[in-house]
Amino acid sequence: MAKPANKLVIITEKVLLKKIAKIIDECGAKGYTVMETGGKGSRNVRSSGQPHVAETDSNVKFEILTESREMAEDIADKVALKYFNDYAGIAYICSAEVLYGHSFCGPEGC
Amino acid sequence: MDFLSFFVKDFIAQLQSPTLAFLIGGMIIAALGSELVIPESICTIIVFMLLTKIGLTGGIAIRNSNLADMVLPALFAVVTGIAVVFIARYTLANLPKVKTVDAIATGGLFGAVSGSTMAAGLTVLEEQGISYEAWAGALYPFMDIPALVTAIVVANIYLNKKKLKESARSAMQESLTKQPVAAGNYPSTRQEYLSQQKDPADNRVKIWPIIEESLRGPALSAMLLGLALGIFTQPESVYKSFYDPAFRGLLSILMLVMGMEAWSRVGELRKVAQWYVVYSVVAPFVHGLIAFGLGMIAHYTMNFSMGGVVILAVIASSSSDISGPPTLRAGIPSANPSAYIGASTAIGTPVAIGLCIPFFIGLAQAIGGL
Repeated sequence: MAKPANKLVIITEKVLLKKIAKIIDECGAKGYTVMETGGKGSRNVRSSGQPHVAETDSNVKFEILTESREMAEDIADKVALKYFNDYAGIAYICSAEVLYGHSFCGPEGC
Repeated sequence: MDFLSFFVKDFIAQLQSPTLAFLIGGMIIAALGSELVIPESICTIIVFMLLTKIGLTGGIAIRNSNLADMVLPALFAVVTGIAVVFIARYTLANLPKVKTVDAIATGGLFGAVSGSTMAAGLTVLEEQGISYEAWAGALYPFMDIPALVTAIVVANIYLNKKKLKESARSAMQESLTKQPVAAGNYPSTRQEYLSQQKDPADNRVKIWPIIEESLRGPALSAMLLGLALGIFTQPESVYKSFYDPAFRGLLSILMLVMGMEAWSRVGELRKVAQWYVVYSVVAPFVHGLIAFGLGMIAHYTMNFSMGGVVILAVIASSSSDISGPPTLRAGIPSANPSAYIGASTAIGTPVAIGLCIPFFIGLAQAIGGL
Protein backbone atom coordinates (compact mmCIF):
# COMPACT_ATOMS: atom_id res chain seq x y z
CA MET A 1 0.00 0.00 0.00
CA ALA A 2 1.10 3.55 -0.54
CA LYS A 3 0.58 6.35 1.94
CA PRO A 4 -0.61 9.71 0.58
CA ALA A 5 1.66 12.68 1.22
CA ASN A 6 2.28 16.21 -0.01
CA LYS A 7 5.46 17.04 -1.83
CA LEU A 8 6.46 20.67 -1.45
CA VAL A 9 9.10 21.85 -3.90
CA ILE A 10 11.02 25.10 -3.32
CA ILE A 11 13.51 26.29 -5.92
CA THR A 12 15.56 29.26 -4.80
CA GLU A 13 19.02 30.77 -4.41
CA LYS A 14 21.78 28.76 -2.83
CA VAL A 15 22.66 31.58 -0.42
CA LEU A 16 19.37 30.82 1.34
CA LEU A 17 20.09 27.11 1.82
CA LYS A 18 20.75 27.13 5.56
CA LYS A 19 18.03 29.66 6.35
CA ILE A 20 15.35 27.69 4.53
CA ALA A 21 16.52 24.43 6.05
CA LYS A 22 16.00 26.05 9.43
CA ILE A 23 12.45 27.14 8.58
CA ILE A 24 11.64 23.61 7.38
CA ASP A 25 12.91 22.14 10.62
CA GLU A 26 11.05 24.67 12.71
CA CYS A 27 7.79 23.87 10.94
CA GLY A 28 8.18 20.26 12.00
CA ALA A 29 8.92 18.48 8.75
CA LYS A 30 10.69 15.19 9.29
CA GLY A 31 13.20 15.67 6.50
CA TYR A 32 13.99 17.17 3.14
CA THR A 33 16.14 16.62 0.07
CA VAL A 34 18.28 19.35 -1.50
CA MET A 35 19.63 19.39 -5.05
CA GLU A 36 21.77 21.84 -6.98
CA THR A 37 19.85 23.10 -9.98
CA GLY A 38 19.81 25.77 -12.64
CA GLY A 39 17.37 27.12 -15.17
CA LYS A 40 15.58 30.16 -16.43
CA GLY A 41 13.02 32.28 -14.63
CA SER A 42 11.97 35.83 -13.93
CA ARG A 43 15.58 36.72 -13.11
CA ASN A 44 17.01 35.36 -16.34
CA VAL A 45 19.17 32.30 -16.69
CA ARG A 46 20.74 31.32 -13.42
CA SER A 47 23.52 28.85 -12.76
CA SER A 48 23.29 26.90 -15.97
CA GLY A 49 26.87 26.62 -16.95
CA GLN A 50 28.25 30.14 -17.13
CA PRO A 51 31.66 30.40 -15.54
CA HIS A 52 31.65 31.92 -12.10
CA VAL A 53 33.82 32.25 -9.06
CA ALA A 54 31.24 33.22 -6.47
CA GLU A 55 28.23 31.17 -5.51
CA THR A 56 25.64 33.93 -5.68
CA ASP A 57 24.29 32.54 -8.93
CA SER A 58 23.77 28.96 -7.78
CA ASN A 59 20.31 27.58 -7.21
CA VAL A 60 19.00 24.82 -5.01
CA LYS A 61 15.82 22.78 -5.07
CA PHE A 62 14.27 21.56 -1.86
CA GLU A 63 11.83 18.65 -1.82
CA ILE A 64 9.90 18.20 1.38
CA LEU A 65 7.37 15.44 1.99
CA THR A 66 4.77 16.21 4.61
CA GLU A 67 1.76 14.29 5.84
CA SER A 68 -0.46 17.32 6.23
CA ARG A 69 -1.04 19.93 3.56
CA GLU A 70 -1.12 22.61 6.27
CA MET A 71 2.46 21.99 7.22
CA ALA A 72 3.60 22.22 3.60
CA GLU A 73 1.69 25.47 3.13
CA ASP A 74 3.05 26.82 6.37
CA ILE A 75 6.62 26.24 5.18
CA ALA A 76 5.92 27.77 1.77
CA ASP A 77 4.26 30.84 3.31
CA LYS A 78 7.08 31.48 5.72
CA VAL A 79 9.73 31.11 3.03
CA ALA A 80 7.87 33.23 0.50
CA LEU A 81 7.08 35.97 2.97
CA LYS A 82 10.63 36.22 4.19
CA TYR A 83 12.61 35.83 1.00
CA PHE A 84 10.71 35.82 -2.27
CA ASN A 85 10.44 39.62 -2.52
CA ASP A 86 14.19 39.96 -2.74
CA TYR A 87 15.42 36.59 -3.93
CA ALA A 88 14.66 34.40 -6.91
CA GLY A 89 12.31 31.64 -5.89
CA ILE A 90 9.26 29.52 -6.60
CA ALA A 91 7.31 27.09 -4.47
CA TYR A 92 4.78 24.51 -5.58
CA ILE A 93 3.02 21.54 -4.11
CA CYS A 94 2.23 18.15 -5.59
CA SER A 95 0.51 15.11 -4.21
CA ALA A 96 2.69 12.09 -3.76
CA GLU A 97 2.35 8.53 -2.54
CA VAL A 98 5.05 7.27 -0.29
CA LEU A 99 5.93 3.62 -0.77
CA TYR A 100 8.90 3.17 1.52
CA GLY A 101 10.54 5.39 4.09
CA HIS A 102 11.03 4.94 7.78
CA SER A 103 9.83 8.35 8.84
CA PHE A 104 6.58 7.90 6.95
CA CYS A 105 5.76 4.24 6.98
CA GLY A 106 7.88 2.64 9.62
CA PRO A 107 10.44 -0.04 8.96
CA GLU A 108 8.06 -2.46 7.18
CA GLY A 109 7.01 -0.07 4.41
CA CYS A 110 3.52 1.28 3.76
CA MET B 1 57.37 62.79 -18.54
CA ASP B 2 59.35 60.36 -16.48
CA PHE B 3 56.19 59.10 -14.91
CA LEU B 4 54.44 58.72 -18.24
CA SER B 5 57.24 56.70 -19.77
CA PHE B 6 57.41 54.51 -16.67
CA PHE B 7 53.71 53.98 -16.85
CA VAL B 8 53.64 53.14 -20.57
CA LYS B 9 56.53 50.75 -20.17
CA ASP B 10 54.91 49.05 -17.21
CA PHE B 11 51.59 48.91 -18.91
CA ILE B 12 52.98 47.15 -21.98
CA ALA B 13 54.86 44.76 -19.72
CA GLN B 14 51.61 44.12 -17.84
CA LEU B 15 49.76 43.26 -21.02
CA GLN B 16 52.32 40.55 -21.63
CA SER B 17 52.39 39.33 -18.04
CA PRO B 18 50.59 36.01 -17.60
CA THR B 19 48.13 37.51 -15.12
CA LEU B 20 46.53 40.00 -17.48
CA ALA B 21 47.14 37.87 -20.57
CA PHE B 22 44.98 35.07 -19.15
CA LEU B 23 42.31 37.54 -18.06
CA ILE B 24 42.07 39.00 -21.56
CA GLY B 25 42.32 35.52 -23.07
CA GLY B 26 39.34 34.46 -20.98
CA MET B 27 37.33 37.46 -22.15
CA ILE B 28 38.18 36.74 -25.78
CA ILE B 29 37.21 33.09 -25.74
CA ALA B 30 34.02 33.92 -23.85
CA ALA B 31 33.23 36.56 -26.48
CA LEU B 32 33.77 33.99 -29.20
CA GLY B 33 31.32 31.68 -27.45
CA SER B 34 33.81 29.08 -26.33
CA GLU B 35 32.43 25.99 -24.62
CA LEU B 36 35.40 25.78 -22.29
CA VAL B 37 34.31 25.04 -18.74
CA ILE B 38 36.59 25.14 -15.74
CA PRO B 39 34.84 23.15 -13.02
CA GLU B 40 33.61 25.17 -10.09
CA SER B 41 35.39 22.97 -7.58
CA ILE B 42 38.73 23.81 -9.22
CA CYS B 43 38.09 27.52 -8.71
CA THR B 44 37.23 26.84 -5.09
CA ILE B 45 40.49 24.98 -4.50
CA ILE B 46 42.49 27.66 -6.37
CA VAL B 47 41.05 30.42 -4.22
CA PHE B 48 41.87 28.38 -1.16
CA MET B 49 45.47 27.77 -2.30
CA LEU B 50 46.15 31.37 -3.31
CA LEU B 51 44.90 32.80 -0.08
CA THR B 52 46.52 30.17 2.07
CA LYS B 53 49.80 31.00 0.37
CA ILE B 54 49.33 34.72 0.96
CA GLY B 55 48.41 33.96 4.58
CA LEU B 56 51.44 31.72 5.07
CA THR B 57 53.75 34.33 3.57
CA GLY B 58 52.30 36.93 5.90
CA GLY B 59 52.37 34.67 8.93
CA ILE B 60 55.99 33.67 8.42
CA ALA B 61 56.88 37.34 7.96
CA ILE B 62 54.96 38.51 11.03
CA ARG B 63 56.83 35.97 13.14
CA ASN B 64 60.10 37.77 12.39
CA SER B 65 58.91 41.36 12.31
CA ASN B 66 57.74 44.16 14.48
CA LEU B 67 53.96 44.18 14.74
CA ALA B 68 53.92 47.88 15.57
CA ASP B 69 54.86 48.62 11.95
CA MET B 70 51.56 47.18 10.88
CA VAL B 71 49.35 49.42 12.98
CA LEU B 72 49.32 52.53 10.81
CA PRO B 73 48.89 50.76 7.43
CA ALA B 74 46.12 48.62 8.95
CA LEU B 75 44.40 51.72 10.27
CA PHE B 76 44.63 53.33 6.82
CA ALA B 77 43.17 50.17 5.29
CA VAL B 78 40.17 50.46 7.62
CA VAL B 79 39.74 54.16 6.80
CA THR B 80 39.88 53.50 3.06
CA GLY B 81 37.37 50.64 3.27
CA ILE B 82 34.85 52.82 5.09
CA ALA B 83 35.49 55.88 2.91
CA VAL B 84 34.81 53.93 -0.29
CA VAL B 85 31.27 53.10 0.84
CA PHE B 86 30.49 56.74 1.64
CA ILE B 87 31.94 57.86 -1.69
CA ALA B 88 29.52 55.54 -3.47
CA ARG B 89 26.65 56.66 -1.21
CA TYR B 90 27.15 60.32 -2.10
CA THR B 91 28.26 60.07 -5.75
CA LEU B 92 26.95 56.95 -7.47
CA ALA B 93 23.68 56.98 -5.53
CA ASN B 94 22.86 60.48 -6.74
CA LEU B 95 23.23 59.66 -10.41
CA PRO B 96 20.10 59.22 -12.52
CA LYS B 97 18.53 55.76 -12.71
CA VAL B 98 20.71 54.45 -9.90
CA LYS B 99 18.89 53.10 -6.85
CA THR B 100 20.45 54.14 -3.55
CA VAL B 101 20.58 50.61 -2.11
CA ASP B 102 22.24 49.30 -5.25
CA ALA B 103 24.80 52.11 -5.06
CA ILE B 104 25.59 51.36 -1.41
CA ALA B 105 25.99 47.65 -2.18
CA THR B 106 28.26 48.52 -5.11
CA GLY B 107 30.33 50.71 -2.81
CA GLY B 108 30.60 47.87 -0.32
CA LEU B 109 31.80 45.48 -2.99
CA PHE B 110 34.34 47.96 -4.36
CA GLY B 111 35.56 48.70 -0.86
CA ALA B 112 35.94 45.00 -0.11
CA VAL B 113 39.09 43.30 -1.32
CA SER B 114 39.61 40.78 -4.07
CA GLY B 115 42.06 38.05 -3.12
CA SER B 116 42.85 37.37 -6.77
CA THR B 117 43.61 41.00 -7.58
CA MET B 118 45.85 41.19 -4.55
CA ALA B 119 47.59 37.95 -5.64
CA ALA B 120 48.10 39.45 -9.10
CA GLY B 121 49.55 42.63 -7.58
CA LEU B 122 51.94 40.69 -5.36
CA THR B 123 53.07 38.62 -8.38
CA VAL B 124 53.78 41.71 -10.48
CA LEU B 125 55.76 43.30 -7.65
CA GLU B 126 57.82 40.14 -7.32
CA GLU B 127 58.38 39.94 -11.08
CA GLN B 128 59.66 43.49 -11.08
CA GLY B 129 61.87 42.90 -8.09
CA ILE B 130 60.15 45.53 -5.95
CA SER B 131 60.42 44.74 -2.28
CA TYR B 132 57.45 45.02 0.03
CA GLU B 133 56.60 44.00 3.57
CA ALA B 134 55.65 40.34 3.38
CA TRP B 135 52.84 40.95 5.86
CA ALA B 136 51.20 43.44 3.49
CA GLY B 137 48.81 40.70 2.36
CA ALA B 138 47.51 40.60 5.91
CA LEU B 139 46.04 44.09 5.39
CA TYR B 140 43.24 42.36 3.40
CA PRO B 141 40.76 41.81 6.25
CA PHE B 142 41.35 45.31 7.62
CA MET B 143 39.86 46.81 4.49
CA ASP B 144 37.47 44.03 3.51
CA ILE B 145 35.42 43.66 6.68
CA PRO B 146 34.94 47.38 7.50
CA ALA B 147 33.75 48.02 3.92
CA LEU B 148 31.18 45.23 3.98
CA VAL B 149 29.97 46.10 7.47
CA THR B 150 29.66 49.80 6.62
CA ALA B 151 27.78 49.06 3.40
CA ILE B 152 25.29 46.77 5.11
CA VAL B 153 24.76 49.12 8.05
CA VAL B 154 24.39 52.23 5.85
CA ALA B 155 21.99 50.42 3.50
CA ASN B 156 19.82 49.17 6.33
CA ILE B 157 19.69 52.56 8.02
CA TYR B 158 18.61 54.03 4.68
CA LEU B 159 15.98 51.30 4.13
CA ASN B 160 14.58 51.64 7.64
CA LYS B 161 14.26 55.39 7.27
CA LYS B 162 12.52 54.94 3.95
CA LYS B 163 10.16 52.37 5.42
CA LEU B 164 9.28 54.63 8.36
CA LYS B 165 8.52 57.49 6.00
CA GLU B 166 6.33 55.27 3.84
CA SER B 167 4.40 53.82 6.74
CA ALA B 168 3.84 57.31 8.13
CA ARG B 169 2.49 58.38 4.76
CA SER B 170 0.20 55.36 4.39
CA ALA B 171 -1.07 55.79 7.94
CA MET B 172 -2.02 59.35 7.08
CA GLN B 173 -3.80 58.26 3.95
CA GLU B 174 -5.68 55.58 5.85
CA SER B 175 -6.91 58.02 8.44
CA LEU B 176 -8.04 60.35 5.66
CA THR B 177 -10.05 57.78 3.74
CA LYS B 178 -11.34 56.06 6.87
CA GLN B 179 -12.34 52.92 5.09
CA PRO B 180 -13.81 50.22 7.26
CA VAL B 181 -11.32 47.42 7.49
CA ALA B 182 -12.67 43.92 7.65
CA ALA B 183 -10.98 42.36 10.61
CA GLY B 184 -10.53 38.78 11.65
CA ASN B 185 -11.15 37.24 8.25
CA TYR B 186 -9.09 34.23 7.49
CA PRO B 187 -7.26 34.92 4.22
CA SER B 188 -8.66 32.96 1.31
CA THR B 189 -5.74 33.47 -1.05
CA ARG B 190 -2.02 33.43 -0.54
CA GLN B 191 -1.79 37.06 -1.59
CA GLU B 192 -4.08 38.13 1.22
CA TYR B 193 -2.08 36.08 3.64
CA LEU B 194 1.13 37.75 2.55
CA SER B 195 -0.27 41.28 2.78
CA GLN B 196 -1.63 40.58 6.26
CA GLN B 197 1.68 39.33 7.50
CA LYS B 198 3.66 42.30 6.29
CA ASP B 199 4.38 44.19 9.45
CA PRO B 200 6.63 47.21 9.45
CA ALA B 201 9.08 45.60 11.82
CA ASP B 202 12.13 47.61 12.58
CA ASN B 203 14.95 45.38 11.43
CA ARG B 204 17.96 46.72 13.24
CA VAL B 205 21.26 45.61 11.86
CA LYS B 206 23.50 43.59 14.08
CA ILE B 207 27.13 44.19 13.23
CA TRP B 208 28.69 41.12 14.78
CA PRO B 209 26.93 38.55 12.53
CA ILE B 210 28.22 40.40 9.47
CA ILE B 211 31.80 40.28 10.75
CA GLU B 212 31.33 36.64 11.65
CA GLU B 213 30.01 35.86 8.18
CA SER B 214 32.87 37.61 6.42
CA LEU B 215 35.42 35.86 8.59
CA ARG B 216 33.80 32.53 7.75
CA GLY B 217 33.83 33.29 4.01
CA PRO B 218 35.99 30.97 1.92
CA ALA B 219 38.66 33.54 1.01
CA LEU B 220 39.17 35.09 4.42
CA SER B 221 39.09 31.87 6.39
CA ALA B 222 41.75 30.38 4.09
CA MET B 223 43.92 33.45 4.53
CA LEU B 224 43.50 33.60 8.29
CA LEU B 225 44.26 29.89 8.55
CA GLY B 226 47.45 30.40 6.53
CA LEU B 227 48.34 33.37 8.71
CA ALA B 228 47.85 31.42 11.92
CA LEU B 229 49.82 28.44 10.59
CA GLY B 230 52.60 30.77 9.50
CA ILE B 231 52.79 32.44 12.89
CA PHE B 232 52.46 29.46 15.20
CA THR B 233 53.91 26.54 13.25
CA GLN B 234 56.82 25.85 10.92
CA PRO B 235 55.17 25.38 7.52
CA GLU B 236 58.26 26.40 5.52
CA SER B 237 58.83 22.99 3.91
CA VAL B 238 55.32 22.61 2.50
CA TYR B 239 55.31 26.30 1.64
CA LYS B 240 58.46 26.00 -0.45
CA SER B 241 57.59 22.72 -2.13
CA PHE B 242 53.90 23.21 -2.81
CA TYR B 243 52.18 26.54 -2.15
CA ASP B 244 54.83 28.86 -3.51
CA PRO B 245 55.65 27.05 -6.80
CA ALA B 246 51.99 26.38 -7.63
CA PHE B 247 50.92 29.96 -6.94
CA ARG B 248 51.40 31.58 -10.34
CA GLY B 249 50.08 28.71 -12.40
CA LEU B 250 46.90 28.54 -10.36
CA LEU B 251 46.53 32.30 -10.49
CA SER B 252 46.57 32.13 -14.30
CA ILE B 253 43.69 29.62 -14.31
CA LEU B 254 41.69 31.79 -11.94
CA MET B 255 42.36 34.82 -14.16
CA LEU B 256 41.05 32.89 -17.17
CA VAL B 257 37.82 32.05 -15.34
CA MET B 258 37.45 35.65 -14.16
CA GLY B 259 37.92 36.90 -17.70
CA MET B 260 35.21 34.56 -18.94
CA GLU B 261 32.90 35.60 -16.14
CA ALA B 262 33.57 39.28 -16.77
CA TRP B 263 32.46 38.90 -20.35
CA SER B 264 29.31 37.00 -19.49
CA ARG B 265 28.34 39.73 -17.02
CA VAL B 266 28.75 42.72 -19.31
CA GLY B 267 25.33 42.21 -20.89
CA GLU B 268 23.68 41.98 -17.51
CA LEU B 269 25.26 45.26 -16.43
CA ARG B 270 24.08 47.03 -19.57
CA LYS B 271 20.48 46.35 -18.51
CA VAL B 272 20.89 48.07 -15.15
CA ALA B 273 22.22 51.58 -15.81
CA GLN B 274 25.09 53.00 -17.81
CA TRP B 275 26.35 55.00 -14.85
CA TYR B 276 27.66 51.81 -13.29
CA VAL B 277 30.10 51.52 -16.18
CA VAL B 278 31.46 55.01 -15.50
CA TYR B 279 31.65 54.35 -11.79
CA SER B 280 33.43 51.02 -12.13
CA VAL B 281 36.07 52.51 -14.44
CA VAL B 282 36.73 55.62 -12.33
CA ALA B 283 36.26 54.23 -8.82
CA PRO B 284 39.24 51.81 -8.75
CA PHE B 285 41.58 54.71 -9.54
CA VAL B 286 39.99 57.06 -7.00
CA HIS B 287 40.00 54.44 -4.24
CA GLY B 288 43.54 53.42 -5.09
CA LEU B 289 44.73 57.03 -5.01
CA ILE B 290 43.16 57.61 -1.61
CA ALA B 291 44.95 54.55 -0.25
CA PHE B 292 48.14 55.55 -2.07
CA GLY B 293 48.05 58.98 -0.41
CA LEU B 294 47.45 57.46 3.02
CA GLY B 295 50.18 54.91 2.34
CA MET B 296 52.60 57.73 1.53
CA ILE B 297 51.96 59.17 5.00
CA ALA B 298 52.94 55.79 6.46
CA HIS B 299 55.91 55.75 4.10
CA TYR B 300 57.25 59.03 5.44
CA THR B 301 56.38 58.52 9.10
CA MET B 302 56.77 54.79 9.68
CA ASN B 303 59.12 53.77 6.88
CA PHE B 304 56.41 51.71 5.19
CA SER B 305 58.01 50.50 1.94
CA MET B 306 56.89 51.83 -1.46
CA GLY B 307 56.01 48.26 -2.44
CA GLY B 308 53.71 48.17 0.57
CA VAL B 309 52.13 51.46 -0.50
CA VAL B 310 51.44 49.92 -3.92
CA ILE B 311 49.79 46.88 -2.30
CA LEU B 312 47.62 49.11 -0.13
CA ALA B 313 46.57 51.02 -3.27
CA VAL B 314 45.93 47.80 -5.22
CA ILE B 315 43.73 46.25 -2.53
CA ALA B 316 41.83 49.53 -2.32
CA SER B 317 41.24 49.58 -6.07
CA SER B 318 40.17 45.94 -6.14
CA SER B 319 36.58 44.89 -5.69
CA SER B 320 35.59 41.65 -4.03
CA ASP B 321 34.51 38.82 -6.28
CA ILE B 322 34.45 35.70 -4.14
CA SER B 323 33.36 36.27 -0.59
CA GLY B 324 31.90 39.79 -0.86
CA PRO B 325 28.91 39.04 -3.11
CA PRO B 326 27.24 36.38 -0.92
CA THR B 327 27.73 38.53 2.20
CA LEU B 328 26.09 41.54 0.54
CA ARG B 329 23.35 39.39 -0.97
CA ALA B 330 22.41 38.23 2.50
CA GLY B 331 23.00 41.60 4.19
CA ILE B 332 21.19 43.84 1.67
CA PRO B 333 18.66 41.50 0.05
CA SER B 334 16.76 44.27 -1.74
CA ALA B 335 19.82 45.47 -3.68
CA ASN B 336 19.99 44.19 -7.23
CA PRO B 337 22.87 41.70 -7.52
CA SER B 338 23.11 42.30 -11.27
CA ALA B 339 24.10 45.88 -10.51
CA TYR B 340 26.84 45.37 -7.97
CA ILE B 341 28.23 42.01 -9.05
CA GLY B 342 28.07 43.12 -12.69
CA ALA B 343 29.89 46.37 -11.97
CA SER B 344 32.55 44.58 -9.98
CA THR B 345 33.25 41.45 -12.05
CA ALA B 346 32.59 42.82 -15.53
CA ILE B 347 34.53 46.07 -15.23
CA GLY B 348 35.91 46.79 -11.77
CA THR B 349 38.16 43.73 -11.54
CA PRO B 350 39.62 43.91 -15.09
CA VAL B 351 40.28 47.64 -14.58
CA ALA B 352 41.93 47.02 -11.21
CA ILE B 353 44.15 44.23 -12.53
CA GLY B 354 44.91 45.58 -15.98
CA LEU B 355 45.15 49.32 -15.38
CA CYS B 356 45.48 50.03 -11.67
CA ILE B 357 48.34 47.65 -10.88
CA PRO B 358 50.70 49.11 -13.53
CA PHE B 359 49.41 52.60 -12.76
CA PHE B 360 50.31 52.44 -9.08
CA ILE B 361 53.63 50.73 -9.71
CA GLY B 362 54.44 53.47 -12.22
CA LEU B 363 53.36 56.11 -9.72
CA ALA B 364 55.49 54.57 -6.99
CA GLN B 365 58.47 54.36 -9.29
CA ALA B 366 58.08 57.96 -10.39
CA ILE B 367 57.73 59.25 -6.82
CA GLY B 368 59.92 56.90 -4.85
CA GLY B 369 62.51 56.23 -7.53
CA LEU B 370 62.33 52.46 -7.16
